[in-house]
Amino acid sequence: MTLNKKHNLTGWAFLTPATIMIAVMSFLPMIQAFILSLQKGKGTDLTFTGFGNYVRMFQDSVFRQSIINTFVYLIIQVPIMLILALILASMLNNKNLRGKGIFRTAIFLPCATSLVSYAIIFRSLFAVDGFVNTILIKLGILNTGYNFLGHATSAKIIIIIALVWRWTGYNMVFYLSGLQNIEYSVYEAAKIDGANPMQTFFKITVPLLKPTILLTAIMSTNGTLQLFDESVNLTAGGPANSTITMSHYIYNVSFKYVPNFGYAAAMSFLIFILVAVLAFIQMKVGDKRD
Amino acid sequence: MKKKLLSVLLCVAMAATTVLVGCGDSNNSKSGGDSSNGGAASGDENTLTVWCWDPAFNIYAMEEAAKEYQKDHPDVTVNVVETPWDDVQTKLTTAATSGKYDTLPDIFLMQDNAFQKNVISYPDAFTDLTDSKIDFSQFAEGKTAYSVVDGKNYGVPFDNGAVIACYRTDILEEAGYTVDDFTDITWSEYIEKGKDILAKTGKPLLSCVAGESDVITMMLQSTGSSLFDDEGNPDMVDNEALKKVMETYQELIETGVMVEVNDWDQYVGTMTNSTVAGTINGCWIMGSIQTAEDQSGKWAITNMPKMEGVDGATNYSNNGGSSWAITSNCKNVELAEDFMASTFAGSVSFYETILPSSGALATYLPAGDSDAYAKPSEFFGGDAVFAKITEFAGKVPSNNTGVYYYEARDAVGTAITNIVNGADIDSELQKAQDTVNFAMEQ
Repeated sequence: MTLNKKHNLTGWAFLTPATIMIAVMSFLPMIQAFILSLQKGKGTDLTFTGFGNYVRMFQDSVFRQSIINTFVYLIIQVPIMLILALILASMLNNKNLRGKGIFRTAIFLPCATSLVSYAIIFRSLFAVDGFVNTILIKLGILNTGYNFLGHATSAKIIIIIALVWRWTGYNMVFYLSGLQNIEYSVYEAAKIDGANPMQTFFKITVPLLKPTILLTAIMSTNGTLQLFDESVNLTAGGPANSTITMSHYIYNVSFKYVPNFGYAAAMSFLIFILVAVLAFIQMKVGDKRD
Repeated sequence: MKKKLLSVLLCVAMAATTVLVGCGDSNNSKSGGDSSNGGAASGDENTLTVWCWDPAFNIYAMEEAAKEYQKDHPDVTVNVVETPWDDVQTKLTTAATSGKYDTLPDIFLMQDNAFQKNVISYPDAFTDLTDSKIDFSQFAEGKTAYSVVDGKNYGVPFDNGAVIACYRTDILEEAGYTVDDFTDITWSEYIEKGKDILAKTGKPLLSCVAGESDVITMMLQSTGSSLFDDEGNPDMVDNEALKKVMETYQELIETGVMVEVNDWDQYVGTMTNSTVAGTINGCWIMGSIQTAEDQSGKWAITNMPKMEGVDGATNYSNNGGSSWAITSNCKNVELAEDFMASTFAGSVSFYETILPSSGALATYLPAGDSDAYAKPSEFFGGDAVFAKITEFAGKVPSNNTGVYYYEARDAVGTAITNIVNGADIDSELQKAQDTVNFAMEQ
């Protein structure tokens, strides 16, 4: 055995356990889920139906509504959040800023809260007799409490606000670590050349952070498409299904309603395909290497 | 050399673990299952394992039942495992879909609304009790109907969800009314008086959770109508009673007699903070009302308003409640049946024991005549509330929940939200029916 071969074998020996585990625990269930998505029936009484579930999805008005809702969150929330995170990160990257640690911690802290508890806190903040309404009434803006979660548009806006609060800090940390890799001398050179802060941001920070931006964009898209806790705990999907997300509806179909696992698996696969397609588009758009 | 040996050993250990984790589940789970989840029925012929969820209520009741039964059968033990309802549902789903019925206990408690769905989805998980020793005629008909599928009994009725209307007597008095003015009334009288009370005291009579269909299903069941017909098909579009219920709901909101809140905590808050002058719900709501100790003596209960203009309408309805089921995994069905027949379905003295501290109201009709039920409740103005509710329970019309009950409830909840916001009742009911029909054609 040559040394090279030996090294190769050692490498594979180390890789094998992890590979087997990923295959058994991740890929195998995926294949099983796909087979399940081709079946229909209540509970355990399943029969093969081919692609019937995939056709059914597009006739389902509640599922259509949930797709629209999810994409509204995606299109509005993700850009707001990423831009905000980028601005905050470049502000906090300033070498002369005092108390950086405190600011960073304060902005990152929401990520340490559990999804369920923060959703419940937001629900009570925006209740008819909650904190926000009390303030608005005291300031004379409203006469009586407004039912934020009882109206379709305001309920959606509150979910978006909640998501921005919860996840901005998380993305900011990625940007901050990305910014560590940009040489400070580049900024100094720009300064000497007379670039203003706006120009430095758009001509230096954004282009050099591109890989990180791409990463966060894909992760946020992925996360938003799988949104569940906020829809369940903050609004319970209401009013009249106007805030229900795809995952929430899949949960209802499998556990709340008469269990229809085949259909639920088919809907999960659609999310999987959507995530893959969107990530692919983002990578094509983000990759300018030719 | 030593180092090399060590690394080889480590590699072997790692690979071995992987293999064990990957394939060792079928053999391990049997032995592991019993000890880790504590749920699986024990192989022992004289032990019954039970899943239920409320230590102050159904767990307590089950433990008392065990004591009662052990008087005559000292060798029998009952092992109660505290399992929240959501977990019971998830564990049942998991057991049935994986075919591992041996993870189920001997007996579990099930929400009435989910009973038919689960029996039809997982028929192999239940034991048919129709020809057992249990005398189902001793229970309120409306209650037993929840656990009957295709004419077969699968459940022993337990706690009561008979609807009561609760009123704050001090607020009624302020407006010049007594509870008697709200007994045996119709919804239009209710709204009339509610408007008067709202004008005089500024307090609505009723509150509910927006988008939830509890109030609607209670009203509907009181008329003897259901969201489903006898064949289990959705019956919403040409259902005159349902239309009337929707109109009444809309009027209750428009007049301000009923206020909508967003979640359960806020709903309970409207009562405990004295924002509303009353509520209408299953009798288990008394537990939440009684958390406001400062309001003791200021509450009274009576029956709910009746829907006028609908044939067969009554002042009685049901919301919630649960029943015991014996699983197919039960090793000693005879024992389980005998246990049920001599406690929950046959012992008045048992119900007398559990009533005072748990407030577990029986749907077992003979228990209603017991002295314990005639005891006055200080909180509810010295009224014999338990006897009253047992009497109500006997008059509840039965409700056809069907298998797709949760789908229908959500569809109706969506419809009422849109109707309150100004949508047309007929077209919303059509949409709701379409949604349920869609769910059914799988």
